[in-house]
This record gives sequence, C-alpha cells and structure tokens, in this order.
Amino acid sequence: MAQDYTEYLAINVLNEQQLVSYRSLSRALKVHSNLAKQMLYEFHRKQNAKKPGSVHATYLITGIRRAQSPAHTNGVHSQEDGDDTVMQSSPPLPSSFAPHHEEEAEEPVAVRSVLLVKEEHLEQAKATFDSVTGIHINSLQANGLSDVQSLTECNRKIVESYASEDPLQAWKQYGTIQNPNVKRRTQRKGPPPPARIAKDADAKMKPLAPTTKPTALEKQASKESKDSQESKPASKPSSAKATPEPSKKPAAVNRQGSDIFKSFAKGKTKPKKEDSQSSAEATAAATEPEDEAMGGFSEEEDDAEDGAADVDEVPKESEGKSKKEREADLQAMMDQEDEIMEDAAEAIPDKTAEEQDEGAIDKPDSQQAEEPAKDTVTMENGRRRGRRRVMKKKTVKDEDGYLVTKEEAAWESFSEDEPPPKKIEAAPAASTNKPAAGKKAAKAGQGNIMSFFSKK
Amino acid sequence: MANDAPTFRSLVTHFTDFLTVAIHTILYERNIYPRTSFLSARKYNFAVRQSRHPKVCEWINDAMAAVETEILKGTVERVAVVVYNQALKPTERYLFDLSRFPIVGAADADVPLERKAADGTTVSVLPVVDIEEQFRATMSKLANCGTVLRPPPVDGTFTVAIELKSDGQAPVSHPQPWMPVEAATRQGATELQSRRTHPLRAVVAGDLMFESWIEETPAAD
Repeated sequence: MAQDYTEYLAINVLNEQQLVSYRSLSRALKVHSNLAKQMLYEFHRKQNAKKPGSVHATYLITGIRRAQSPAHTNGVHSQEDGDDTVMQSSPPLPSSFAPHHEEEAEEPVAVRSVLLVKEEHLEQAKATFDSVTGIHINSLQANGLSDVQSLTECNRKIVESYASEDPLQAWKQYGTIQNPNVKRRTQRKGPPPPARIAKDADAKMKPLAPTTKPTALEKQASKESKDSQESKPASKPSSAKATPEPSKKPAAVNRQGSDIFKSFAKGKTKPKKEDSQSSAEATAAATEPEDEAMGGFSEEEDDAEDGAADVDEVPKESEGKSKKEREADLQAMMDQEDEIMEDAAEAIPDKTAEEQDEGAIDKPDSQQAEEPAKDTVTMENGRRRGRRRVMKKKTVKDEDGYLVTKEEAAWESFSEDEPPPKKIEAAPAASTNKPAAGKKAAKAGQGNIMSFFSKK
Repeated sequence: MANDAPTFRSLVTHFTDFLTVAIHTILYERNIYPRTSFLSARKYNFAVRQSRHPKVCEWINDAMAAVETEILKGTVERVAVVVYNQALKPTERYLFDLSRFPIVGAADADVPLERKAADGTTVSVLPVVDIEEQFRATMSKLANCGTVLRPPPVDGTFTVAIELKSDGQAPVSHPQPWMPVEAATRQGATELQSRRTHPLRAVVAGDLMFESWIEETPAAD
C-alpha cells in the first residue's frame, strides 16, 4: 500500500504531469480521503527533499478568518485573480458594512472560511486567519499551477470515471460526509397499463411486485454489479424473483435493443412471438413487452455487456422455424388482402405458441426472467422511467374504404416515481412504433401496417 | 458542426474553434492582457478563460475566419501564434502543424467525407467525443504551459501567423487580411539549436490530425 501510492503519484504527477487531488487519489487507490491527504503530504515532503521545487501543492485551509476591513474584503471578493478562492459558509460579515466608527464597539462576527491557496501563498493566507481549524493538501502538480480553475478537471474526471460506484456504499471507504438520515427512494407502484390479455403473467406479476419493495434498496445499490451476474443464473420462480427483476430489465432492455436490429437481419423469433394473441401464455406475454420495449431508451442502457449473452440464447432456439415462417408470412402479407392475412396471421400464433413452448422447455430461466420484466423500466433515483404499453385506438381506412377502429398496444415513455406497472400482457398486435414494421410480418392482422401493404 | 456526415468544412470549423479557445488561453496565461479582463467559461467540458474585451474577441474571430479561408484552400502548413516582447521580437511561438489535414479540393469542401478501414468497415471521420477529449487534454496542457516557460514578457503583444506549403499561393487579395513576411527573417542555424521546444499534444481524432508545440526563442538580451 505504501509503495503503491508513491508509485502512483510518481507516475501521475511527475511523469504525466497531471494534477492529482486528494479525492482522485482516494478514488484511484480506494483509500479513505484522509489517508489520501496524508499520502499527498508525504510525497510532497519527500520529493521536495530530494529535489526542491519539483512538486507543488495547493492547500485547503479551514478556519476562522480575522474580520477584514470593508475595503479589503471587497477587494478580495472582486479580485478574481484565481489565487484565493474565498468561500464563506456564513452570511457576509455585517460588521464589514457597518460604518467604521462602530467597529470598535461591536464584536467582530467570526467568519468560518475555507480557502484554497497555492503553496506560495500559504503563509500569507494563514496570516489572515484568526485560528486555523484544519489545513491539508488539496492537490499536487509537477510544476506549479497557473490557473486554479484547472483543478476542476480533477473533479470532472472523478465523476466520469467513478460514476458507477454507489455513493451509499462507497462513502465508508472514501470518507465522504454522509447524512445518516438519507435514504434512497423506494419504488412505489404505478398505475397498471390498460387491460392486457396475458392472465398468467398478471398472476405472476403481483406476487413479484411486493417483493420488489423490500429489496429495492439493495437492488439499486448493487444493481449494476448484480446485473451481469444475475442475468445469467436467472430466476427460479420463487424467491429470487425480486432480485432478478431489475437485472432482467437491463437484460430485457438489451434484448429489445438487439431485437430491433435482429429483426432487420431476419430470423428473429421475438417479433413472431409478439403475434400470439390468443395463446396467452405467460411466456408469450412476458416476451412481447420485452420485444416491444423500444430502442432508443434501451440502447442507452448497458450496451452490450449484460444483454449480449442473453439475447443470443433465446432467439437462437427457434430461429430455424421462425425464419421460414417469417418469409412465409411476408409473402402472405405482400400478396394477400386484409382478411386473408388475418387468417394467415391466426395460423401463425399456433406455431409461435409452439415455439414458445419449446422455448419454455429449453430455457425456463430466461423466460421467467422475462415475465416479471416491466416493459423496459429503469430504476434511477427512485423514479421509474421507461416505456410501457398503453392501449391506443387507431382508426384505419380499410382497402374497401371502411373505417376500422382497432385497439392496439402502443409504447409510450413515462417517468414517474412509482414502480412500473405489474401487468404485462400479450399484446394483440405488435407495437406500431417499430421501424421494423415491415418485418413484423405476421402481426395478427391488426395493425395499420397491414392496410399499408394491402394498398400495394 | 456536422450531424451525420462530416464535411471538410466542419473539420476545419472544429479546428478553428479550438484555435480560438487556445488563443484566449494563451493571452490569459502569458498576461498579454490583464487577467482581470478575462472571465471563466466552459468549453469541451473544461474550464477555460475568455477575454471580455470586445475588440480582442473581434480581432481573434476575424483572424480565425481568415485562417479558415486559407485552410479550406489547402495551402496552410502551420498556424502559429507568436508572442512578442515590447521590442517586437518574438519570444515564443505556439505552433499547430496542419500538414496532416486531409487534402480536399476547394470545390469539395462541403462534400460529406467517409473513411473505410482496410476491412471495409466505415470508420468515423469526426468522432466528436474523441475530439472533445483530446482538445480538453491539449487545453489542459496549454493552461499549464506558463509553468514551464520563462516568465512572459512585460507589455508584450501577439499575432497569428500562417506558414504556407511550398506550392501554396500567397493570399494576396484586395481586402488583404494577411501580411506577407519573408521566411528568411527566421533565425539562423545557431539560434535554432538554442531554441527550446515543448511539445503540447498531437491530436488524432478521426481525420482531424494536428500536432502542437511551443517554441521558445533563446533567452536573448
């Protein structure tokens, strides 16, 4: 440990000539901030003993500042020299603005200040303090700092590199100031989306939902780390449901992301599964929303890591069948009219139901994984965001000139402080938002996609 | 900036924007104008200094526009920001070597560029994230250059110069933005050796490639 920090500092400060603040050191070496400050001090002392002036430091002085004359105070505030940054934690000194003749009569109000100074100004700054309660090294740099502003770069790097660490857990390690009363917001239940068909899914969803609450905290805390692990082992239907839930979401989310692309590539099962309306199997029900949950949102999350493996598993099973079916359906769609297409479409659900059965046998895990998934929802700061299915009515002009009103599931994004809707039902028609609309050939004859093609 | 298809013009625009920020930083660091006349701004997600004086900003913007015109013609080899002392002798030069810019004819300045790697996959011509990061690194080094260089000249001044390629046409037109200067006025061999060079950064982001360094003329006088 002792050797690590010397080496680390030697590399970063001397060789690479970077600015190292005590915060970046503590994050990089995973040590407490106070320890990091000591490390900086030691290094500074040793290096300057070897070669004076090789390492420069900036210091952070905390203390009670001597009351300064109004003119002087104003000068300090307006002078944006970059040398001293005065941050006053208490409101400005009333006596500063009081007329001079009152100064002797009044007790000067103590101003607690935190001052960031370069080492050349250290003594001078200390002199302005009545009493110094704390002083430590803020950062080290190789040659000297011309612009104090550049220290902001250290903080930006910390935020960027260590954003994945959960502050609620990491604070003990790093020594960040923590409010003991702070709690992460738990997810609250949101309004379930309008009636969907899959009853099984519903039944399973309900027991799941309450279990999410108690585990919400831990889930969120270690969601990211758990994700990759849990998506693989996946869920047994009972206890592990809650925890896999969040992992399923990113996993499911990733599926959908790649689903879209795969649907372009042909041979994807997901779009087929969506078609199953009648065969409201839990699996079917579960998979559909996964597939539907769209792109832009899901793609942002966990790009390849978690989902990649999952995605490949399930589709591959039934790929052979679906390919033929898809092509058949495409043909059917292109050549025939609405009514006929509906017939064809109905034929498909049976097949797709089969696929799903197989899928169910082959991969019980992943499907159960899908079930609880709630239409691509991410938990972020207690807000549920994501896309969910909502029933919307679409009025379409048939090829015969008839207006047909169809109710279909459509995706909408939502962001609310409530847990995602529990129910996931097999939508009768695939979402119409998909750019891959053309590929969702065997949509159960409902979407306006059909009429689009029929006009040809 | 190019949203989908980067053109040569957008490449050049990125570069001149960066140059503008670099010049402001140089002015701040070298105390050419009083530090109080600068305000803190943010560029490339980094804290930079920007001059508040309208004439200074105007001059820099005009200079950048002129540089952009020349780069689009494809004749520029290097751009230099030269700092002079009171006697109008150059004390340091901040050079940006553009010889590795893509060579695009003037008529094709707005044509979308595309680059294919050896295996046929399309490689990004202008990866914005990369560019930002690299510019940020360069700015960070530039901001700290003051610590390695000699103390700046008192009451100094500065200007922007471009060095043309050997086959380039000198920009002489009626409203003449550039003053032609003979290359021979640069120092002789002995002085070249005593010149100190500090590398800044070689920025490579897609097709935007340039090198930057600082040359200090020998401590004379």
